[in-house]
Amino acid sequence: MQKDKSGKIENVVHPNEKLVKTHCSYCGMQCGMNLRVNTVSNKIVGVEPRYDWPVTLGKMCPKGVTAYQQTNHSDRLLKPLIRDDASLKGTKEGFREASWEEAYDLITTKFKELQTNYGKNSLSVYSGVSMTNEKCYLTGKFARVGLQTRYIDYNGRFCMSSAAGGFLRSFGVDRGSTLPWTDIHETDCIFMAGSNTAECHPTSMFRVWAVQERGGYLIVVDPRETPIARRADVHLDIKPGTDLALANGILNLLIQNNYTDEHFIKNHTNGFEETKELVKLFTPEYTSEITGVDPEKIIRAAELYGKAPNAIVMFARGIEQQVKGVDNVSGYTNMALITGKIGRPKSGVATLTGQGNGQGGREHGQKADALPGYRKIANPEHVKEVSAFWGIDPSEMPKPGVSAYEMFGLMEEKTIRGLYLLCSNPAVSAPNLNYVRKVMKELDFMVCADFYLSESCEFADVVLPTTTWSEDEGTVTNLEGRIIKINKAQEPVGESKPDWQIQIELAERLGRGKYFSHLKTARDVADEFRGASKGGYADYFGATWDKIDKQDGVFWPCKSEDDPGTPHMFLDKKFYHPDGKAKICALPYRPPAEEPDEVYPLRLTTGRVVYHYLSGNQTRRIKFLNDMCPEPYVEVHPEKAMEYGIEHDEIIRLYTRRGQAFYKVKITEAIRKDTVFVPYSFGHDESINLLTIDALDPISRMPEFKACAAQIEKLEIKKVL
Amino acid sequence: MKQRLYIELENCIGCRSCLAACTQCGGHEERNRNYVYDVNPFVNRQTMPLMCLHCVNPACARSCPAQAIQIHETGAVLSALVEKCIGCQNCTIACPYGIPKFDTEQNLMYKCDLCIDRTKDGIPPMCASVCPTNTLQWLTEEEIEMKQKQFNLDNGKWTASMKLEGETNVRVNLPGILQGVTKLF
Repeated sequence: MQKDKSGKIENVVHPNEKLVKTHCSYCGMQCGMNLRVNTVSNKIVGVEPRYDWPVTLGKMCPKGVTAYQQTNHSDRLLKPLIRDDASLKGTKEGFREASWEEAYDLITTKFKELQTNYGKNSLSVYSGVSMTNEKCYLTGKFARVGLQTRYIDYNGRFCMSSAAGGFLRSFGVDRGSTLPWTDIHETDCIFMAGSNTAECHPTSMFRVWAVQERGGYLIVVDPRETPIARRADVHLDIKPGTDLALANGILNLLIQNNYTDEHFIKNHTNGFEETKELVKLFTPEYTSEITGVDPEKIIRAAELYGKAPNAIVMFARGIEQQVKGVDNVSGYTNMALITGKIGRPKSGVATLTGQGNGQGGREHGQKADALPGYRKIANPEHVKEVSAFWGIDPSEMPKPGVSAYEMFGLMEEKTIRGLYLLCSNPAVSAPNLNYVRKVMKELDFMVCADFYLSESCEFADVVLPTTTWSEDEGTVTNLEGRIIKINKAQEPVGESKPDWQIQIELAERLGRGKYFSHLKTARDVADEFRGASKGGYADYFGATWDKIDKQDGVFWPCKSEDDPGTPHMFLDKKFYHPDGKAKICALPYRPPAEEPDEVYPLRLTTGRVVYHYLSGNQTRRIKFLNDMCPEPYVEVHPEKAMEYGIEHDEIIRLYTRRGQAFYKVKITEAIRKDTVFVPYSFGHDESINLLTIDALDPISRMPEFKACAAQIEKLEIKKVL
Repeated sequence: MKQRLYIELENCIGCRSCLAACTQCGGHEERNRNYVYDVNPFVNRQTMPLMCLHCVNPACARSCPAQAIQIHETGAVLSALVEKCIGCQNCTIACPYGIPKFDTEQNLMYKCDLCIDRTKDGIPPMCASVCPTNTLQWLTEEEIEMKQKQFNLDNGKWTASMKLEGETNVRVNLPGILQGVTKLF
C-alpha cells in the first residue's frame, strides 16, 4: 500500500483562496477533502485532497472530486416554491416563488387543518440519512414533539435497516463495522458479499488490493463480475436472492473441516449446536443447486476463510436488499462467530454503509421505532428517559410508527394525509414506483425540502430550499462508526436554510416553540443531541467537536469527556446481549419472494454505477458525472442476448408484473446468464424501480430490490430513446 | 528527493477519478488531459488509464516545428506554450500513445504537464492524489525499486515503455502483478 504519508504532504493553496477541511457529501466512506474557497467571492470553487485524513489519505472517487460543484449549481432552489394548482402534481409545472413567511403560513394552516380534522397522526415525516446527526436527531424530535405524530421513518429502510437488524440479533448492538477501516489492508482474507465495492465505495479499494499484494486472499460473492470480482481469488457468482443458502453452505464446511474455535463458541456465543444441525443439510452440492455456484468454488472459499489467521467478512446491499436481508446478515456474520474471527484487530464483520450518515442517521430517533441513542419507543424506560430530556410527559410520546414503504400504504388508505419529505427522493428510490407515485399524487398536502427540484418535489404543494452539506456544520458517523465533523465552507445560496432551522421555525409557528426555540445554531443542536444520546448504547455524549478534531474522529460508544471512543468493538469478547454473548443464528433457507417462471424467466437485479449516488438527484446534475453515465442500460450476457435476438445498444422493453421501461442493451460476459442488471439512479420513465418488487423483510421492512422476476421483449419497430 | 508517477495497471477499476481530478489542477483550465479505456467491455470490466509517460526524449517535443513543448527540469514534458503553438498537431501524431489533445476553437494543443504547479514542489499530481485504487501513485526511486523486487516478474517487461518509446520518467507495471506474489498460506 502507498504508505500513510500523514502530515508529510503539503496542500496547494491558490492565490485568493483558502481551504476548508471537511468530508464528502456522498457515501458512507465520508472521504476527507478540502474545499477550495475564494476569499474575495467567499464561494466554493474547487477541491484539494486531504492527505492527512487517515481513512482515505486524500483519495476520492469522481463523485467526491466533483461534489463541490453541487453548491453553486444553477439548479439550486433559491426561494420557497408554492403550487396552487394541485392538478399539476406529479409534474414540474405550476410552481411559483414565494417568501418563507408565505410558505410557512401555508404549511402551518394546512398541517393544523389536517390534524384538527383527522388527528395528530394524519401527518407524516419521511426523512433521509444523507445529512448530519444533528439534523437527523432534530427531525425525530420535530416529528414527535413538533408535529406530535407517530408516523416518521426514513430512507435507511431502503439502505441499512437489514444490516442493523442482523447485527442487533447477532451482537445485540448495531455498529456497522466492528473494526476501523485502517485495519483492512492488514487482514489476510476478505470475504466480500453483495458489494460492488469498486463502484460504490471506491476509496476502500486501495486497502482491498493491498491485501492481495501482501499475499492475502479476496473472495467475492456477486452475480456479476464487478471490477472487484474481476481480481478476486474466488468469485462466487451467485444467483440473486440466494445468499442465505451460500452462508449456510460455507458454515457447514467450516464446521465439517474443523475451522471452528471451540473455546470462543463455548464462552462467547449461544446457538451453535442448533445452527450446526440446521446447516448439515447445506452440502456443497445442495448449496450449489440453490445458488448456482460451482461446488468446488464454495469449498475453496470456505477453506480460504477457515485457514486465514485473520479475516474480515464484509457485505452490502446485495445481500441486505432481500426479503431475508436480516437473515443473510446474521448468516454471513455466523462465519466470524464460529471461527472466533471477531473481537480482535484485523478480524471482524463490516457492512459498507451506503449513505453518508447511514450509521448515525439510524441511531438517533428518526426511525419509526427508535429514539436518540438507539433507544426503543416500545421500551417504557427509554420513553421515560427521552421524555424527561425533552421536557414532555411520557404519555405525550407518540407510539411507534411504520416503516418507510408501509407509510405509502397508510397514505393510500388516507390514514396519513400530509407528508413532510426531506433528504430523500422516494419517487425514484422506492420500489414498485407506479404505486408509490400514484399515492404521493393523491396526498392532501405535501411539503418537500431539498436543494434541487428532485423528482419527489414534483409531487409537492410546497418546496422548501435547503442548504447543501457545505453550507452548514455538524457531525456524521461514517461506515466505521467514526463520528466526524462536516465544516461550513460558504454562506447558504439564495434564501436556502439548513433543515434544522426550518424545522425549528415551523415548530414555533405550530405553537411548539418552547421545545425548540432555545436552539439557535447547529452547535446548540449538537450539544442537545449529545445529551439526548447519553445513556443509550449509541452513546455520543463524549464525542465533542473539539475531540473529533483532535483525534481525527471519535468512534462510538464514547460515554464521557475523557473516553477516547471505541475503534475496535468486542475486544473484551463482551457482546451486547444481556448475557454478554453473541448469537449464532440457525436460519432456514427461504427463496426470494418472486422466483423466475415461464412468463418472467429472468432474474432482475439493480445497483449503482460509480458516477451516480442513490436516486441521482445530485450526480445527474454534475456535468462530468452525467457525461460519463447519462442514461441507464440493461446488462445482458451475450448468450442470453442471442436467445432474444437482441444486440448491443438495441433498445428493448424490460418488464415485470409491476411495470416496464425501455433500456439500451449492454452486452457483457461479466454477468450470470440468467440475470439482468439495471442501475437505479435515474428518474421518470427511466427508473428501474417501476419494475422492482415491494416484498419486505419481516424484521427490517427492507424491500427486495435485488431480486425479482423479469422478461425482455425485443421491439418490432426500433425505438429511439 | 526525486519522485515519479508510477502506474499499476492491474489496479484500475475504471472510475475515472483521475480525469475528474485533472480538471482541478491550477494550470489545467478545468480540462482533463488523459484517458481511461475499457479494455474489452464485452468480456470483462478491465480498464486502464492512459497517461502521458513523460518521455526522456519525447516524440511530441521532437516533432514540434515551433519548439512549443518545453521539458521542465523535473523531467515533466509540459503542455504547449500558448504563444508558440501553431496548432499543427504534429505532436498528437508523433506521440506513440496519442496523448496530446487538441482544442479546435483555440487552435491549440494541450497535454498533461504532470501538474507541474504541484510536482515542482514535491506535491503529488492530482490524478495520483485521488486515485482510489493506487493505480496511480507518486513514489520515490526507492519505493519503485521495492515494488520491482516485490513483484519480481519474469517476463522482463516490467516497464512497458522500454520497448515503445525509449526511457520514460513515468514507470508502468503491466497487468499481472499478482503472478509474482507469494501467497501467505
